Amino acid sequence: MVAAAQHPNIKLMTYSEVVDVSGYIGNFEVTIKQKARYVDHSKCTGCGTCFEKCPSKVPSAYDFGLGTRKAIYIDFPTAVPNKPVIDAENCRYFKTGKCGICKKICPTGAVDYEQKEELIQEKVGAIVMATGFDLFNWEEAYGEYGYGRFKDVISGLHFERMSNASGLTGGKIIRPSDGKEPKSVVFIKCVGSRDEAKGKEYCSRACCMYTAKHAHQVLDKIPGSSAYVFYMDVRTPGKAYDEFYRRTVEEGVQYIRGRVSKIYPSGDKLIVMGTDTLLGRPVEVEADLVVLATAMVPSKDSDKIAQLVSCPTDKDGFFQEAHPKLRPVETMTAGLFLAGACQGPKDIPDTVSQASGAAAKVCALLSHNELATDPMISQINEALCSGCLVCKGVCPYKAIEEKTITERVGGKPVERLVASVNTGLCQGCGNCTVACRAGAANLKGFTNDQVLAEVDALCR
Amino acid sequence: MKRIGLFVCWCGSNIGGVIDVPAVVQEASKFPGVVYATDYKYMCSEPGQETIIKAIKEHNLDRVVVASCTPRLHEPTFRKTLAKAGLNPYMFEMANIREQCTWVHSDEKENATTKAIALIKRALSKVSKVEPLYESYIPVTKKALVIGGGIAGMQVALDIADSGHEVILVEREPTIGGKMAMLDKTFPTLDCSA
Amino acid sequence: MSIDTKDFQPKIVGFTCNWCSYAGADLAGVSRMKYPSNIRVIRVPCSGRVNPQFVLRAFQKGADSVLVSG
Repeated sequence: MVAAAQHPNIKLMTYSEVVDVSGYIGNFEVTIKQKARYVDHSKCTGCGTCFEKCPSKVPSAYDFGLGTRKAIYIDFPTAVPNKPVIDAENCRYFKTGKCGICKKICPTGAVDYEQKEELIQEKVGAIVMATGFDLFNWEEAYGEYGYGRFKDVISGLHFERMSNASGLTGGKIIRPSDGKEPKSVVFIKCVGSRDEAKGKEYCSRACCMYTAKHAHQVLDKIPGSSAYVFYMDVRTPGKAYDEFYRRTVEEGVQYIRGRVSKIYPSGDKLIVMGTDTLLGRPVEVEADLVVLATAMVPSKDSDKIAQLVSCPTDKDGFFQEAHPKLRPVETMTAGLFLAGACQGPKDIPDTVSQASGAAAKVCALLSHNELATDPMISQINEALCSGCLVCKGVCPYKAIEEKTITERVGGKPVERLVASVNTGLCQGCGNCTVACRAGAANLKGFTNDQVLAEVDALCR
Repeated sequence: MKRIGLFVCWCGSNIGGVIDVPAVVQEASKFPGVVYATDYKYMCSEPGQETIIKAIKEHNLDRVVVASCTPRLHEPTFRKTLAKAGLNPYMFEMANIREQCTWVHSDEKENATTKAIALIKRALSKVSKVEPLYESYIPVTKKALVIGGGIAGMQVALDIADSGHEVILVEREPTIGGKMAMLDKTFPTLDCSA
Repeated sequence: MSIDTKDFQPKIVGFTCNWCSYAGADLAGVSRMKYPSNIRVIRVPCSGRVNPQFVLRAFQKGADSVLVSG
């Protein structure tokens, strides 16, 4: 993270969103909204005095409410950039107009309540989508796991925040309900994945491995603990993956092949009811903590950004690559590339490989000073064009422009409006040719004459 | 007068095992303008492409039809072949007699042969009408935009930046790192994720 | 020709978009699916390229049906 922030060729824009994209390969114009941080990052040193003194406490979404953060905050201690932003919704100053402590105590005067969001225009030659994933909202779908009513049924990412040494529990695994160390932990895989009825059809690919890792961590960090994994299949197709899984089994993690039909509380424990399909009999496990390996789904609002950049999505909302085998990092929009889980569920090694692949494609593109464009695009016969510009309305690529030409009529020059094709924007769909009543628009490579000749040949 | 060259590919047995290729060549070569027609086991192979180049030169062909697989696969290949032989690469048309003929009609060989002839005639008919096309050139802004500052976005940005190009890395959250920064150790090596 | 004839074989002309249904027809081939051989396909860059004139011409020249897909 630090490397990305410090690289002289990288302009890092955090707390920012792309709000508009126009143009075409080699020549995209993008508008980026820099949201108001209310902290001037050019002055801020990241000393942290402000968030020590801030009186407004908010449950930390980053830590799944495990702890609290202030209204002026940094999500985690090693964050990049390591400078805070003010969450105006929860800030006392923004709500009541009183307080202003952070401004008073900031030694560099970086706090600026008047800061407004800014729109920044940039020109770029290539765009890479790396919008990642979110976790499937299991609370809405899985009644048998309690619809999120039981505090000690958590997601895998929640577990990560606990076992992370820089997290709020300092790496200690605890039960969210009472803070006690769990002795018996049950893991359930394929929550939302490979479940057409309640979730998604696809396999999320990383869960088998991280569940093995979690189970290992339970046994490793909690002496005398036991870990159970309910699974449908164990899928470990990666280098050194199966070895890792085997090791966790040898360490004593108990794998039970079958689904969980119900979780219910009993005292301060949770009873996990399921079936062991290998033994063909029901099982019941008393658990202190249940961890769900939830499916990866496209990240929130990725549909909106897909629309902005005209990137098609697949049936599950992931961005669609140009070809699943031969062009996995490209899209059907020239100059637009994909990296990571926005294209489909992926683990870290695959994400990094795909990201490097996308980077290589971008570098190849940017290594050219000029690009040859497909010549199979529309052209306007200016002599026939009446300037009605119906074609402009039907063009999905905004490639039709207005142009004034001068003609000699009766010996005098007369100015006239005609349509003109932007050869960089035109994608050669030919919609304009059908809309053109005068027959002035034609598509090179698919001219009216040529298609009619094909029709004639086939009907003969 | 147009001088069309027709090249029908066997694609091993993918095409040749279903339709009667020599009969197709014979029938299609009657099409007005066809001055040379032949077939070959693998048209896209190097000797296959050499056959085309040689025929263009020897028979002074001014346009070419290749009947083989889908143009979505080898159209660029054969366009380059034409360019190598000194022809405008757009004086070219393909007839898709594999994906849309022999592979889907392998159980009705006679009909497949009739259809292949029709598809080739369509291509011949179109190629009779084509004109040379020329590419135009657009400038390239040597800067990339990466949307998302998680592990994928950071890796892309770093790789592009290392090659000497400028990168804008946009992240909607206050900090970069995405989901990865939330993780503890990562499998299978259990090293840290920061 | 009457369509009541038992062995009537319609002549079908298809206009398919290069990016979707033409690719779909290719995929049918790659997957070795089977369908009747009396459809003949013309590749267009977009179904929006299909001028109604093309369809009328096909009927005029003896096509029994026309498929536009995209």
